[in-house]
Amino acid sequence: MSQANPTQPGLLRRVVSSLLLLPFLMAVFYPFLWMVFGIFKTNREFFQPLRLWPMKLLDSEYWSGIADTFFPNEFSMQNVRDLLAGKWVSFWDVFGNSLLVSLGQALGAVALSAMAGYAFARFQFRGKRALFLLAIALILIPRQLFAVPLFSWVNALGLSDSLFGVMLPGVVTGLGVIYFTQVFRQLPEEYLQAARVCGAPEFRVFLTMLPLVWPALLSYGMIHFILAWHEHLVPMYVLTTESQQTLPLALAKLYDVSQRTPQGVQMAASTFALIPTAVLFAVCYRKFKSSLSEML
Amino acid sequence: MLESAQPAPRADAGVGWTPFLFLLPFLLFLILFWLVPLVGGVKMSLQANGLGQAEYVGLEHYHALAKDDRFFKAIRNSFGYTLASIVVIVPLSLWLAHLLRSTFRRLRPVLTFALLLPALTPPSVLAVLFLMVFHGRNGLLNQLIVLPLGQAPINWLKDPDFILAGLMLQAVWRWTGFMTFFILAGMEGIPRVYYEAARLATGSRWNHFWHVTLPQLRPVLLFVAVYLLVDGFSLFSGAYVLLGGAGGTADAGLLTISYVYQKTRFFEYGTASAISISLLPVMLTIMGAFLFLRRRIA
Repeated sequence: MSQANPTQPGLLRRVVSSLLLLPFLMAVFYPFLWMVFGIFKTNREFFQPLRLWPMKLLDSEYWSGIADTFFPNEFSMQNVRDLLAGKWVSFWDVFGNSLLVSLGQALGAVALSAMAGYAFARFQFRGKRALFLLAIALILIPRQLFAVPLFSWVNALGLSDSLFGVMLPGVVTGLGVIYFTQVFRQLPEEYLQAARVCGAPEFRVFLTMLPLVWPALLSYGMIHFILAWHEHLVPMYVLTTESQQTLPLALAKLYDVSQRTPQGVQMAASTFALIPTAVLFAVCYRKFKSSLSEML
Repeated sequence: MLESAQPAPRADAGVGWTPFLFLLPFLLFLILFWLVPLVGGVKMSLQANGLGQAEYVGLEHYHALAKDDRFFKAIRNSFGYTLASIVVIVPLSLWLAHLLRSTFRRLRPVLTFALLLPALTPPSVLAVLFLMVFHGRNGLLNQLIVLPLGQAPINWLKDPDFILAGLMLQAVWRWTGFMTFFILAGMEGIPRVYYEAARLATGSRWNHFWHVTLPQLRPVLLFVAVYLLVDGFSLFSGAYVLLGGAGGTADAGLLTISYVYQKTRFFEYGTASAISISLLPVMLTIMGAFLFLRRRIA
């Protein structure tokens, strides 16, 4: 990959671009700040009317009023403690379930798609085109559309209310197959020849290729983890017992008005729900971006 | 990345069963957890409503749907929602990616990451944060934009004229940063020589963008559009938390998948499946268009 920067932009240009980005950053970021500060607020503080537009621009009372309503009165950990102690939902169970399901789905999807992608990229065989079209159809017809028959089938397999009932359907992905087809097509042929000369069986050749494409494996695993972490519809049908549920279901329950969960607890749960995916993405950021740049 | 499986270079092509052994796990899961439910859905759509019903009713559900105004409303809403989000998100993220390329190099990863934070957030959390932005009279959007313009505050989640717009804004908020990231990665993959060649022809940055960047980005843009399209039709969580799984006032925010969900809540599994199945021709048409476009691009 080569650097594509046409010309290094001048200082003025860089400053102007940063300034233009600022409102977008604020629009994206403000609700998250509000969420984090919300953890420490009582319901009363949370719902106090927030006047956001100064009637007079230099009204110091207004600006201090903003600070009072935006920041919590005191940083009390009570809401976090209540949440983690399982007062509203069995949070650790649900969090653990989500981690298990998402990790299982990500690993399974990477394994299946990498193997299928290798076959599409490296072999000629009958029915290849039809199978490839099937992978594209799989992208366009997501299983969420068939949640009900999927659920009754999962039920018939004896997997209802089991984490496997969510995990196993989640490992089939058309996007992954097409991604890895592209990845393996870009590997230089010489590597394969070298591996094959040694007379290794094809599966051994495949395994020797894996370290060469590990940024791609990592990137796709991450994307799939994030998708699985957010999945709501299929778990909603499959998982019925509360301790078996995943995070999006628990969140929906916490948000439900009839549960009367304190706002601070809701915000604490929301923040915890964001942490795994945000950390994962931050850690993989560079690898992911360079592996994408090479491929796109 | 979405290029076709062209004949791959391979020295010894007589491989027999080997490729199928590699495909076996994928195909197994594909059949088990995609094809079987798909066929099950077709079968269910031909059976009477109710739990454990297996009475064959033919195309009755489809006939009923053809007369169901709510069904057409849901389809219209889903299309409007999806197309509008693509039309807004794609140009906006192109522009943001361009801005990110022109900022300070050190700032770029931080800014990109901050912009795509919503894509990492579970959709139900996003929906709740968004409630704050829309929430009736006191929401940010009203206070920052509508009131200063001298308009009456809009009740975003109750006013039928604005519910769908609210859902679209949520999609824009959620995906723009993520797509910006993809486009940025695509831009960084464009070989530098192309720009050097372009600079010999013209000095205008606009021309560089139009004749070098944009054509080179076509595969990424196609990918982004397909991603948004699929997400638009399978969006559930966001609408579920904002509207409680219903369509909101006058069904103004009724999406196809929420309608399916509503039907299943009353155990009308036959109708629910019929709705899903009626989307198949639509999706296959889109797939045809996508394959055609991809060939044009390649």
